[in-house]
Amino acid sequence: MSKLRKKRMQFVITALVVPVILLIVFVVIPAADLFRMSFTNWDGYSKESDIVGFTNYISMLKNKDLWLSLKNNAVYFVIHFFMIAVELGFAVILTGRLRAAKFYKTMVFMPYIINGVAVSYAFSYFFSPINGAFDAVLGALNLEFLIRNWLSDPKIVNYVLSFVSVWRFSGYHVILFMAALQSIPQDVAEAAKVDGANAWQLFKYIQVPGIMLMVDFVLFDNIRGSLQVFDIPFVITAGGPGYASSTFTLYTIKTAFTYSNFGLASTMAVAIMIMIVFIYVIQNKIIHSLILRDRRK
Amino acid sequence: MVKRISTQIVKQILCASMVVIVMAPIILTLFAALKTKADMVTTSPLLLPEWGRVTFDNFKDVLSDKYLLIGFKNTGIILMVSIFFNVMFGTITAFIIERFEFRGKKLVVSLFFIGMLIPTFVTEIARFQVIQGLGLYNTLGAPIVIYVASDLMQLYIYRQFISGLSVSLDEAALIDGCSYFGLFVKIIFPLLAPATATVCIIKAINIINDMYIPYLYMPKNKLRTLTTFLMDYANAQLGSWQTLAAGIIIIMIPTIVIYVFFQRYILAGVAAGAVKE
Repeated sequence: MSKLRKKRMQFVITALVVPVILLIVFVVIPAADLFRMSFTNWDGYSKESDIVGFTNYISMLKNKDLWLSLKNNAVYFVIHFFMIAVELGFAVILTGRLRAAKFYKTMVFMPYIINGVAVSYAFSYFFSPINGAFDAVLGALNLEFLIRNWLSDPKIVNYVLSFVSVWRFSGYHVILFMAALQSIPQDVAEAAKVDGANAWQLFKYIQVPGIMLMVDFVLFDNIRGSLQVFDIPFVITAGGPGYASSTFTLYTIKTAFTYSNFGLASTMAVAIMIMIVFIYVIQNKIIHSLILRDRRK
Repeated sequence: MVKRISTQIVKQILCASMVVIVMAPIILTLFAALKTKADMVTTSPLLLPEWGRVTFDNFKDVLSDKYLLIGFKNTGIILMVSIFFNVMFGTITAFIIERFEFRGKKLVVSLFFIGMLIPTFVTEIARFQVIQGLGLYNTLGAPIVIYVASDLMQLYIYRQFISGLSVSLDEAALIDGCSYFGLFVKIIFPLLAPATATVCIIKAINIINDMYIPYLYMPKNKLRTLTTFLMDYANAQLGSWQTLAAGIIIIMIPTIVIYVFFQRYILAGVAAGAVKE
């Protein structure tokens, strides 16, 4: 028996040793190091660095450009948040009886599959002020008066980029919702239909509660995604003009790799992680209490 | 009956507009890629030029760039090596976590769980020194090691799949004198083939499309990947939308082809990868 146990142990150890080492070296140590560095003034290349206590945390809170960047993240968050209802709607339509549903399913997920950098450049062209396709669309609809400098007007650039983000990521949520909807047992819905439930009641009392886990995941993904927006603004506007389309992650990366302030950047990284958890908990509480209240009625 | 037909029509209109919104930016980019420099100015961006004036020169320009080929090669190497190790470590780790009890298991499981939760972009600030310290900066090793160590989506897919396999299989094999290693290689691994297919496809798309890690860790020209090639090309082609558009289309093609062929697995895999316990 003990020989067998020894063999088991040997197998477990030899199999796990490499993956666990990789994980520790490239994930766990860097994550722990982020916390340590957030209390130093390390510049990214010196051998020495001083422990500066909470200085980075204080200067982070005082940094106006960073707050502006965070506000930009909030725009992504809100727009995507409201899109969730639309995404859910599409998921319900596509799981129901519908001609060409398969084709639509393929299309809805397409933007998520294609290269983000290519997408970003394609939209740079789409919104370009010279010969831009979007301005031409507006022209064709006799809406010329709406034409703006889509990517260089500080007032609107961030909304334009949020739209690109919605274009790119909404299909992902639709697919997740569809997968969840399909896993709801058919007989429950059938029984409800026999009892005379209409589509809206079916949606509200059966489908939405049935996919609550997925709704949770999508809400979490929305927080994580909108706090980490990076490649769309990085490629299209580099955060400009000024900081008009900068985001928290973009600012953090710039602080580290452009301004060589790794200490402060680590502080921001820690802040992102804390914000993700914090907003998630609050949002969860609110959403769940809303749904539970509805059910009690 | 009338009501049913009208809802069908509304649904079709909604879905059709969705398709237009999805396709418009891509098709308009394709139009630009097929125009000459002169036609870019004279024709509407919403239209192709007259049939006789459609040109493929922009595509030829991009394809003749030697860095495109280098980009294809590097992306290919990174892809194959990372996916190989992802599958190897993913399957065995999931197998052990699902089927074995051992001291420290909780710790190992929670380490992997943390690995999934930590935001990737910002950890690079700390990971950068580890990569540099190991001499992996500006080598293909940097992206490979990061994709293998830190992108752990495959664990969920494999764990879900293994939990559906009957334990009596393991027992029968062990009683027949199979070693644990033999059991894994001869019995479990082949049974995981469908999950492996899904993992390979999804990883391939993520890796081909990733911009950040190659951009950060491989600034060397010879280490261009498809995405960093496009970024470089865009900087060089400033203002020449028709050639850049051709570059955009060419870079989009590999993942679109994968998607069109394997969409069933991709859609299933994305859903499986997202739902965590």
